[in-house]
Amino acid sequence: MSTKNSIFAILALAIFFNVSCASRSADQTSPHEDTDRFETYNRAMFKFNYQVDRYVLKPIAKGYRAITTQYMRERVNNALANVKEPISAFNHILQGEMKLAGINLSRLAINTTLGLAGMYDVAGGWGLAKEKTSFDDTLAKWCIKDGPYIVLPFIGPATPRSTVGLVVDSVTNPVYLATLDAPAGTRDKIGYGYTAISVIALRESGLDLLDDLERNSVDFYTTMRSAFMQNRRNKGCINDDATAASYDFDFGYEEEEQIFDEMEAQ
Amino acid sequence: MKKNIFAAIFASLLMISGAAQAAADASKAEAFVEKVTKEGIEDIINANVSQSVKDQRFEKLFNEALDLNFIGQFVLGRYWRTATKQQKIDFIKAYRELNIKTWSQRFDEFKGKKFIFKGTSPSNSANQVFVNSLVPMDQGEPAKVVWRVKQNGDKFKIVDIIIENVSLAITARNEYTAFIKSAPGGVDDLIKNLQNKTK
Repeated sequence: MSTKNSIFAILALAIFFNVSCASRSADQTSPHEDTDRFETYNRAMFKFNYQVDRYVLKPIAKGYRAITTQYMRERVNNALANVKEPISAFNHILQGEMKLAGINLSRLAINTTLGLAGMYDVAGGWGLAKEKTSFDDTLAKWCIKDGPYIVLPFIGPATPRSTVGLVVDSVTNPVYLATLDAPAGTRDKIGYGYTAISVIALRESGLDLLDDLERNSVDFYTTMRSAFMQNRRNKGCINDDATAASYDFDFGYEEEEQIFDEMEAQ
Repeated sequence: MKKNIFAAIFASLLMISGAAQAAADASKAEAFVEKVTKEGIEDIINANVSQSVKDQRFEKLFNEALDLNFIGQFVLGRYWRTATKQQKIDFIKAYRELNIKTWSQRFDEFKGKKFIFKGTSPSNSANQVFVNSLVPMDQGEPAKVVWRVKQNGDKFKIVDIIIENVSLAITARNEYTAFIKSAPGGVDDLIKNLQNKTK
């Protein structure tokens, strides 16, 4: 993707996103009464992604797990995370979190050198714990609304805000920036290679969790949507007071003790 | 004027005592969750006993620590009100069995891990409190686990577990109400589906 194209993509999304924000701001729904305005489309796209995952991505992730050890995968995950430290630093600056940005940059410097290209988290051992953030978090801090749930082809669960976040994160990714001036062939090789490794490593790390969720679910689509949207709440906006947590819904009782007494007697 | 001030003080005192009454005992709630997780890790995961003994112990701990009747009502959402008595009983039973099965499997993954307790947060619901904890992971950042605890007299029960902001009660409620809405047999289909998962 050329820079020009990506800027257009961001603009287009931002416009779509603002429109959907404006229409949404009025209806503040309670956390457990969830809405899914694009459900028909979303379910169809979910089905498509599920098949792609089932026949392509998941087998590759399983193969990757089979030919590597836990130790090797940790090195890969650490190295991939290390490459993304500048994204976190950039966004921490945008969020006004200078100290955290400093931690990101120190971790990058230490782990890239002493940690052998980021394979070992030396800085973590020194008390500089990982502080990950993204452009999506920045938008949340700036109090930009999330918008409705949408399932993107190949990418999966998303919202307009998370999509803008994803695009900005990928064009601020050091791998992308470093290869901007490289010949097209080289740039593509590095870009696709990096993306492929990232996706496979990410899928591998989610293998057990997603299998577990699917096995115990009666409606996997809704489980995924619900978990995805809940996980995105509580990304604090700076204007918010420290109000109650998003999961503090009204958890009352309908009080039907009689039934339960009978059940226990059975 | 003086009278007004007295009235205001009196009213605020009433409100404070009212609030204190409705709030759960936070430190006791935290101690309760700590005890449950400690028991689970020491007496079940790390214990040198057969799997069937482990399963029995887990089921006992699970039933003692969680208020599944309470959670089950919430999870069925608006369908709870219209369900027949038999459906309610069957649903709670199937839901309990599925949860015992899933959690005994999930619990194994806590082998060698521990919970670090981080105090409590108040809840807007009466007699409930959130107990905050972190679980250090082998890789990456620690997982945030919050326990919603309900107090009834001097008894405590867990009514929700929130992992990385994802409430299990809300997720199950969304999932089950969506399922019932599209299932021709409604609640009965859900019960059958849950029962099949524990067969």
